Amino acid sequence: MSDKFRADFYQNFIEDDRWKYMVNGLGNTIKITFFAVLLGIVLGFLVALIRSTYEKTRKLWFLDMLCRVYLTVIRGTPVLIQLMIIYFVVFGSMRIDKVLVSVLAFGINSGAYVAEIFRSGIMSIDNGQFEAGRSLGFNYRQTMFYIVTPQAFKNVLPALGNEFIVLLKETSVAGYIAIQELTKGADIIRSRTYNAYMPLLAAGAIYLVMVMIFTHFVQKLERRLRNSDH
Amino acid sequence: MTTDYRTDALIQVKHLGKRFGDLEVLKDINVDIRKGDVVCVIGPSGSGKSTFLRCLNRLEEPTGGNILFEGVDITAPKTDIDKHRQKMGMVFQQFNLFPHMTIMKNLIIAPMKLQGRPQKEAEEEAMRLLERVGLADRAGAYPSQLSGGQKQRIAIVRALCMKPDVMLFDEPTSALDPEMVGEVLNVMRDLARERMTMVVVTHEMGFAREVANRVMFMDDGYFLEENAPEEFFAHPRNERLKNFLSKVL
Repeated sequence: MSDKFRADFYQNFIEDDRWKYMVNGLGNTIKITFFAVLLGIVLGFLVALIRSTYEKTRKLWFLDMLCRVYLTVIRGTPVLIQLMIIYFVVFGSMRIDKVLVSVLAFGINSGAYVAEIFRSGIMSIDNGQFEAGRSLGFNYRQTMFYIVTPQAFKNVLPALGNEFIVLLKETSVAGYIAIQELTKGADIIRSRTYNAYMPLLAAGAIYLVMVMIFTHFVQKLERRLRNSDH
Repeated sequence: MTTDYRTDALIQVKHLGKRFGDLEVLKDINVDIRKGDVVCVIGPSGSGKSTFLRCLNRLEEPTGGNILFEGVDITAPKTDIDKHRQKMGMVFQQFNLFPHMTIMKNLIIAPMKLQGRPQKEAEEEAMRLLERVGLADRAGAYPSQLSGGQKQRIAIVRALCMKPDVMLFDEPTSALDPEMVGEVLNVMRDLARERMTMVVVTHEMGFAREVANRVMFMDDGYFLEENAPEEFFAHPRNERLKNFLSKVL
């Protein structure tokens, strides 16, 4: 048994330097996830601010309408369809870096979910906090910035962490536009060696470890931000 | 306290009206608040007294009339209300301290960000005021570690750190356990003694009688009676005020 395992391991990862499929794939997965998370946060934050400003003050109605269209379309269609539309339709006639396309697709997709997470966080802050800020002389923007959003961020951190875990795993469909990310890397090895369990279990284990590490840091951050509730 | 009016009005309210949809909460409010006045507004719940107070710094937008603060019409559309609010401290029933900041941060953030005061100076000023309300040792604590009475005293200090010209109190003791009402009223009493101009919406008749120089009764969107406290409580004229006082005293 252990001899068989050793032989499989050798064939799948050592022979012909096949481990490189995994490592390069992992690199792409991390790259796509990292920049898509950043884009998602920026987009989501902006959309959440516009939406909650409209809800509180009835201003920015036009932007609010655009945001609602964005949320409806993005949340109403599969991310894989969005990825392929961006790659084959929007950028179909151009040569463009596929990783960049993935970052755009996953970032735009994640932004919709992050927006609703942030918005729920902002709306969950008691209006008295907002009034206290305004009564001191802070304008709307300052009140949001110094008083409302820091509390909102703390409240939504668990949901936000969850969204990023989902995003990390969702990047596994980027192989559909022929990006060699982690899942695709494992699948290539499988197609070369006709051995399915070894590369797929390895890829799964790597995702699991990444999620666990990430969860650990989110929990640490949560604990640090919680030091004001005794 | 006897009447010691100067002629200059700090706040002039002219024909103030406020409606929420079909509900007319304030009908025709006219009142001058002079420098050094301690005005207590009493009345049954739903009478519009909180709305009146919140209109003074436009936390509620008036739907009619004008409010002049230090001679400037702050209800005019072009007014920079944020600037005037810096001079109008407000204390809320629910304290509304910022829970994600320490007490010290709660006190210095507005003076630093809005008045450009250096941190050291803002902290010294905050410390001086904390000592006066007996909470200097809590500067590093978070609001959640404080009792209700302590929170409200901090909220008063937070407003004072902006060096306001008037303090607005919206039922400052209504959310407190009975044993904590006194400590908050004491701070307010000290403020009145230092001639701070105050408008206080309250159910504390004892405080109104002892500290205010003017007591006003509001019901149904109007000020129905105003008088110096002795007269107000001893010889009420309006029938509804008589009825109200008979229930609360």
